[in-house]
Amino acid sequence: MNALVLNGLVAAPVVMAAMAMLVGRRGRAGVGVAAFGGLVVLAWSVWAVVVSTTALDGSHVDVAWVEAVGIRWHLGLDGISAPLVLMSTVVFACALIALVRNAPEGGGTTALAVLLLVIEAGVLGSFLALDLVLFFAFFEVALIPMWFVIDRWGDAHGPRGEALRRRAATRFLVFTVLGSALMLVGFVLVRAEAGTFDIVEIAASYQPSGATALAAAVLVALGLAVKTPLWPLHIWLPDAHSKAPTVGSVVLAAVLLKLGTYGFLRFWLPVVDPGWEWLQPVVAGLAVVGIVYAALACLAQTDLKRLIAYSSVGHMGFVVLAATTFTLGGVQAAVYASVAHGIITGLLFFLVGAVKDRYGTGDLGRLRALYGQVPRLGGLVAFAAMASLGLPGLAGFWGEMLAIRSAVFPDGSLPRETFVLLAVIAAFGVILASAYFLAMIRSAFQSGETGAAPPEPVVRGDVTAWEWLTWSPLVAATLVFGVAPGLLLTPVAEATVAFLGGLR
Amino acid sequence: MTVQSIDWLAVAAPTVLAVAAVLVLMVDAFVGHDRLDLPGDRGSGLALLPSALTVLATAVAAVPTVLLWQEPVRSTFCIEDGVEGPLLCSFATDGFTLVFWGIVLFGTAVVALIGTASVVEGRIPQGEWHFLLLSSAAGALTIAASRDLITLLVALEVVSLPAFALAGLRRGDPRAAEAALKFFLVSVVSTAVTLMGISLLYGVTGSVFLDAVAASVAQGAEPESVLIAGALLTVVGLAFKVAAVPFHMWVPDTYVGAPIAVAAYLSVVSKAAGFVGLMLVLGRGLPGLADAWAPVVAVMAALTMTVGNVLALRQDHAVRLLAWSSVAQAGYILVPFGAVRPGAAGDALAGSLGYLAVYAFINLGAFAVAAVVGTRHPAQRLSDYRGLIAEEPGAGWPLAFALVALAGLPPGVIGLLAKVIVFDAASSVTWLVVVMAVNVAIGLVYYAKWLRELFRPAVSVGASTYDVPNGVGVAIGMTFVAGVLFSVLPGWLLDPVLATLG
Repeated sequence: MNALVLNGLVAAPVVMAAMAMLVGRRGRAGVGVAAFGGLVVLAWSVWAVVVSTTALDGSHVDVAWVEAVGIRWHLGLDGISAPLVLMSTVVFACALIALVRNAPEGGGTTALAVLLLVIEAGVLGSFLALDLVLFFAFFEVALIPMWFVIDRWGDAHGPRGEALRRRAATRFLVFTVLGSALMLVGFVLVRAEAGTFDIVEIAASYQPSGATALAAAVLVALGLAVKTPLWPLHIWLPDAHSKAPTVGSVVLAAVLLKLGTYGFLRFWLPVVDPGWEWLQPVVAGLAVVGIVYAALACLAQTDLKRLIAYSSVGHMGFVVLAATTFTLGGVQAAVYASVAHGIITGLLFFLVGAVKDRYGTGDLGRLRALYGQVPRLGGLVAFAAMASLGLPGLAGFWGEMLAIRSAVFPDGSLPRETFVLLAVIAAFGVILASAYFLAMIRSAFQSGETGAAPPEPVVRGDVTAWEWLTWSPLVAATLVFGVAPGLLLTPVAEATVAFLGGLR
Repeated sequence: MTVQSIDWLAVAAPTVLAVAAVLVLMVDAFVGHDRLDLPGDRGSGLALLPSALTVLATAVAAVPTVLLWQEPVRSTFCIEDGVEGPLLCSFATDGFTLVFWGIVLFGTAVVALIGTASVVEGRIPQGEWHFLLLSSAAGALTIAASRDLITLLVALEVVSLPAFALAGLRRGDPRAAEAALKFFLVSVVSTAVTLMGISLLYGVTGSVFLDAVAASVAQGAEPESVLIAGALLTVVGLAFKVAAVPFHMWVPDTYVGAPIAVAAYLSVVSKAAGFVGLMLVLGRGLPGLADAWAPVVAVMAALTMTVGNVLALRQDHAVRLLAWSSVAQAGYILVPFGAVRPGAAGDALAGSLGYLAVYAFINLGAFAVAAVVGTRHPAQRLSDYRGLIAEEPGAGWPLAFALVALAGLPPGVIGLLAKVIVFDAASSVTWLVVVMAVNVAIGLVYYAKWLRELFRPAVSVGASTYDVPNGVGVAIGMTFVAGVLFSVLPGWLLDPVLATLG
């Protein structure tokens, strides 16, 4: 694997963004170029994954970037990052293609598409980065563009809509930057202890011990917890998701949250000592609180988008719970659940956006009996909701099942009783998830008990051909990963053993 | 009494600026006010002559700076300490000095170019303005090479005295006069305090040479309490110059009252001079007392960035916002001082120097665009920047870049790396770094507020475009190109800068 493949994967979205911007000076051709760009990046990522090995084999890009402080331009692709890279490029391609026919209010669709491509570059860079500071830098690339996406194209309906949208955008920005700044503090502390920013070296030889190492691990966890998000640092998320335009919500939920979970696997596990008595149980505890809290919050939601947003908090809880168990099975579960959540929640946000477009509202109190009007759209929502609540045979099942299993058998140095208890509570969260999704489907899609008539649609018509085109890759992936989990689990296991060594 | 041999190459850079200052004054005298300072389109090309001379002088002064870079260590104006003792020098160059000279020369050239925006206005006497600017810059060069407390203080005054006049330069503006007076009073008090501190240090150690002071402290000069008092008083005096909280009160009014080019000068070059003074006195003269002064500076740094950021949040006036943001940025630059341990000053202070180098051209870029917008909107409300990207992309994009770089976010990668460097240098004082991390997030709120205005659709599309003066255009271009270049290849700037102290 040569430098062209990896550098090119990061550069391709930027180049395509620049082209879209040039073409898009006049007319709407820019969006088409951007959608094409999404496909180019997708193809490039497939190429990169095909030529890469499942374990990091030393053939990565590694040159000095700022020699004076030991920051290196170090990129690599292995079995842990490859699934996330592919999932991201697919979701971005879908989002960009969706933009061609379905432009959000606010105009300037080309600019929106360009921003999405810039976000994609940041995301791919983060997944490839093997240097702490480089990861941090790419992590930040996505922020300003995402802030613009929410601030400019977000939903400004309702009283004080504009002010609320602005608040959602700024809150997203400030929370995330606060988190990543704290993470950066953690990273420089890690360097003070380990002597390098290179995560491969750190994973191979760093033995965390002492107060500074603990402080570093806590700060890194805090930073990632904001991004993931982990309860109680999730408060930026519901607003950001529900105010963002459809493609913004899709990207935010499906991809940007994964930077946090990926960070836990790649950059947190190596700087943590499983022998520390309280750190992992506390993080795992917060994750489980998040699962239950999110499920209860979902039961109380009256807005479709907010409901999906809160359900994300719950799913991310499973991922973090799995990561804290410090086992091979845990890492497998975390990657699997991350990819599955990306596909399924991306699809859900697309579908909910389509409902909102058709009826002009996402208010669960007003949406009634939609099956009668838009049976195919309703069917897809039901399908995605089933996948999200973890129906066996669909992608969502394996991640949550494996996460709970890994929590029952955590690393030997962790307090097993605590983790078993957490696993039981998390399993209870799965049941609650079924409850809120079924309640949502019953109230919005089946005719409720009152038998009230469905609301008057703003735009008539069921799923269009273009929407089928955009959504079908996600639907297909949900099915494939539901029936063939081995596709993902094997490479992840190989890469994890090579990267982290002594996991069970 | 022997005549000293002087190393002319070492003193060439400050000399060039001083000579150029006299030259500008003579041009002013011979050409005459009436022909230099005509307002508006009645002005002749002559009005740009002093600016051109100033930029030329900085370019000429850059030549010896570059020549020295290969073998930077030189010293002159030396005396022998006793019969057998080491040579003690008042004026010496090394890598650190040269980096700072680069900052000052670049900054002065950009400030002179920004100043051309005021030519049209015709309210700023061009001859005086450039004479004062060059004099002050000559002082700033000297301070970086000074190696004894007296030279350092005199050089600091050479920086400051012209700066008072600069702050009040705008003719017939009572606000400018008030700003200048406030600045003057604060500065005089701070100088007096610094002098007091220096006299205490001299009293205990018996020398004004920084190296001799350091040696004396290392040998355990007594009484230590007087030494510490001297160190803290000196710090207080210099803290006024860098506008560290609680000695920052003069900043907003002075920046707003002064012409924008002067505000840019105060926020970058004059402030950098204060930081160099701090680095020399604390890092070179008193590293042995770091246990006493480092915690004080750490608290000061935490206060400075927090107060600067929180007050910047409420500003709606662009220059006032930049003023408070520059207070906050000064806090970041102070952070590594808090991590200095006795005997290891260089590693930590390299973080400050690196941040200062980055901050210099980023902040100048923001001021340069503010100068352009100021030609049409003297009120400098943030809403005046609405739609700047669409209306005048040549000014809008550089400002957007400068703002994200000041906030420390990509695509302003160089700003992000500057923060990484400070974090890295100060990682041993974890609480302070955490405070800084929180501040970075607070600072983002007001940078984002400004950024949002830039990208909002313009009120009237294509109705009118800015008439960007050529000089300011060059200033914007220089800072923007530097920012973009160093964001892609940060090693080109940061590696040599950090190597001088690391």
